[in-house]
Amino acid sequence: MINISEKKEMKFIEDKGISQLTNIPDIEKLDRNKSLDYYKDFLYQCGKCGTCRTAFHENGWPRICPSGEFGKFEAYYLGGKNLLAWAVSSNRLKWTENLAKIFYQCSVCLACTQQCQIPEIHNYAGEWLMTMREKAVEKGLGPMSEQKKYSEHVALEYNPYMENHKDRTNWLPSHVKQSQDAKLAYFVGCTTSYREQNIAINTAEILNSLEVDFKILKDEHCCGSPVYMTGQTEKAKEIAEANIDIFKSEGIEKIITSCAGCYRTLKDTYPKKFRLDHGIEILHLPEFIQDKMNNNEIKFRNNIKMKLTYHDPCHIGRHMGIYEPPRDILNNIPGIELIEMPRNRQNAWCCGSGGGVRSSFKDLSSFAANERIEEAKETNSDAIVSCCPFCLNQFKANIKNNEIKALDLSEIINKTIEHQNF
Amino acid sequence: MFKMNNSDIVAELGKIVGDRYVSEEPEIQFLYHYDFITAEPEGKCDIAIMPETAEEVQEIVKVANKYKIPIVPWVSGINFGSIATPRKGGIVVDLRRMNRILEVNEDDMYAVIEGGTAWADLKGYLDKYHPNFRAGITFSPPGTGVVPSCLCYGMFDLGMIGGTGAEFLNGLEVVLGTGELVRVGSCSISNKWYGRQPLPDLAGLFIGWEGTTGIATKVAIKLWPKLPYREDIAILAQTVDQGVPLLLKLSKAGLGIVDIIFVNMGWCQAIQGFKEKSVAMNPVELGIPDFVGLVTTQAYTEDQHKAQCKAIEEICKEFKIKPQSAKSFLESFPSEMRGGFVDIFPGFGGYTPFQAWGCWNFSRGGGGEWIGSYCSTSDIAKYYNIAREITLKHNKPPQFYSRIMFGGHYCVARANICFDKNDPEDIERTRIILKEIFDAVHQLDGVIMYKPPLWVVEHHKSKTLSSTTKLITKIKKLLDPNNIMNPGQGIEGD
Repeated sequence: MINISEKKEMKFIEDKGISQLTNIPDIEKLDRNKSLDYYKDFLYQCGKCGTCRTAFHENGWPRICPSGEFGKFEAYYLGGKNLLAWAVSSNRLKWTENLAKIFYQCSVCLACTQQCQIPEIHNYAGEWLMTMREKAVEKGLGPMSEQKKYSEHVALEYNPYMENHKDRTNWLPSHVKQSQDAKLAYFVGCTTSYREQNIAINTAEILNSLEVDFKILKDEHCCGSPVYMTGQTEKAKEIAEANIDIFKSEGIEKIITSCAGCYRTLKDTYPKKFRLDHGIEILHLPEFIQDKMNNNEIKFRNNIKMKLTYHDPCHIGRHMGIYEPPRDILNNIPGIELIEMPRNRQNAWCCGSGGGVRSSFKDLSSFAANERIEEAKETNSDAIVSCCPFCLNQFKANIKNNEIKALDLSEIINKTIEHQNF
Repeated sequence: MFKMNNSDIVAELGKIVGDRYVSEEPEIQFLYHYDFITAEPEGKCDIAIMPETAEEVQEIVKVANKYKIPIVPWVSGINFGSIATPRKGGIVVDLRRMNRILEVNEDDMYAVIEGGTAWADLKGYLDKYHPNFRAGITFSPPGTGVVPSCLCYGMFDLGMIGGTGAEFLNGLEVVLGTGELVRVGSCSISNKWYGRQPLPDLAGLFIGWEGTTGIATKVAIKLWPKLPYREDIAILAQTVDQGVPLLLKLSKAGLGIVDIIFVNMGWCQAIQGFKEKSVAMNPVELGIPDFVGLVTTQAYTEDQHKAQCKAIEEICKEFKIKPQSAKSFLESFPSEMRGGFVDIFPGFGGYTPFQAWGCWNFSRGGGGEWIGSYCSTSDIAKYYNIAREITLKHNKPPQFYSRIMFGGHYCVARANICFDKNDPEDIERTRIILKEIFDAVHQLDGVIMYKPPLWVVEHHKSKTLSSTTKLITKIKKLLDPNNIMNPGQGIEGD
């Protein structure tokens, strides 16, 4: 196996998990969250050289782009997308349904941008991958039909699964203690509330074990991530505004998430894209637990005795720069042996569920998941661990014959933490 | 330009490779019309197809023959002559699904690879399964194709040992323009791909023909053992005229030298990542060294290594030049100015192969093209000085690169022009400069451009012995009777 898992000192772009290029002069400093017009004079720097297809390490060069590896044609790699974006923004090519589809057939995992050594593309290509989706929506060519459908579900039932909104907290066991005066909310998210309820139970129990005053929002809505990620910015902003009203009405000052997508959306998209400065501190569960570890406020008692490999969710990894807290936690739990997959941290292979891919491009989605599962199996680990319900659900749906388990970090923490008596 | 009812043909091709691997959609075609690098004009891709096997390639070629449709073999479309740009329309056969490493023979040190294998694929595979062996390291980006690079006389960092990529080829499997599948080299009568000897060397039917005689579906490429001792040495001189004689002497001294290249300061600054506006236009006037030589030596034992390095130092002394390790040379730059150099040298902690943002992006305008030639080692400095003068006249920073090949038997010389590919005026100016440089350097006897764009092919034709041209025509007719293989390109291009 290629050994490229060594932890290196790496600088990351502010608020992102994309490594910072430190060896190049004359790097343009651009704003984020701008329109395609703003970025159009940087797109053409790309020569479709193919660097974006491969993680580049001292000891190996694995492929990195699920969209390209599945779609095969150049158009599905970042190079092709750069030049197609250039083509439409310079009137060399017209917008078509097929063009929009190409941009949607991508989980926006950003592994490609991490590889490119053209500094402006390395740093900002994620911006135009999103603005192309926005543009597709503007032109009436996006989102994809399944994505449109789930966006309608969000409008009706505040979740993309069209589950009854009133059932959102059905997962909540009676023994979980909440404090209605708490300023801290656990934002559960749709996938956790309806599909991976154990994450919610484990997270709530962990918070109880740590004697943290928290509450579940009385009326939690979808964070808007699946709507935003499919280019429907205005709709997503409306969702965000509704959520912020709820946060304010409940007096929330701090939010803990257990979903990578919710975390990214609340922490980054709301204030930076939508300019909705909610002033609320947002923490993902691993960050919160790491903080407790650092303050000696948490004790891991039970010996788990498992070999585990950790999968970096794109939305907390490359999108937000959280790589080490989950690893630090796992390394502190007695009995756990953490084995890295060759593609990890900023070079992690995406599970294939994000960016609207799982709903609209099922073959690509399964391809990506299976590639990751195979990589996890090669580590001879007992389980692949992540901290995103979307990743977990994707792995569980694609693992065959129980060859490896899929776990959420919250489950492991909850198993080993010193419990209060419920 | 070829005219056809694409839909019927697409349906026929879809039966060969599966519908998802053939496309006539404008968004897919767009990325094959043009190379997105050079100042050469766009072409036209009518259909793009991605076969997975040699048999599928054969079937595609048969369809192309049936309808007499042009067919263009393609892996990355990245070369400075735009030779994979479809000049007559037709089918672009994108070989990137054929990227498997089929065999690595450690005894005879070769790898059998498929025609669409990228340098990244080969490097990744060798590192994982044969870590004691390496292929050459190209300075082109990792997504470029191994096979087209070798067939078109590309080169890599073993050039001093083995010459061009073509000379590293042990044998080929090729689908001819007729659809027939042939093998050349030892693999034609055995399962061993150790070389092209002692049979008639038919590899020449495909090397240097720019994909106009067939589509290579498999090749064997020579590997090299990774030796435990390596030093990358930087040699600086004030002018190219001063530095070249030293490199030439080193090239003929053995000393475990596997690679010798030099760049002028313009190219050096481009590799560092400066934008054109920040580059010193004329370093010589500013007293900045204009010659940056890089010599790599390898050895099996420490004593051997020390002796080799010592001998290199002694030769440098004769020229009153003090060599330094590439590592210390790079450390003399502020860290934010090291650019692509950090990727070149393992000794500096960088990775190989070179993951630059592509040679064409030196000016960060996304465009670049060179007059790149093989020539006599005696003409390197003359070549540079001619190109430099012309480039400066047009107010562009001169960029030059040269590699000494095969123990000093010949060399590569390249004058590069960067441009902003979003700026039509800059593109036009680049074309003028390139033409001027070409006309001037080709006054030097023996300067022959490789990966030549169309307008250079015309020059080659006019200079070639007429009997040789006739032979080329006969061979082309034999291998590709319907003239469907990459028409409009290569020495036989019309």
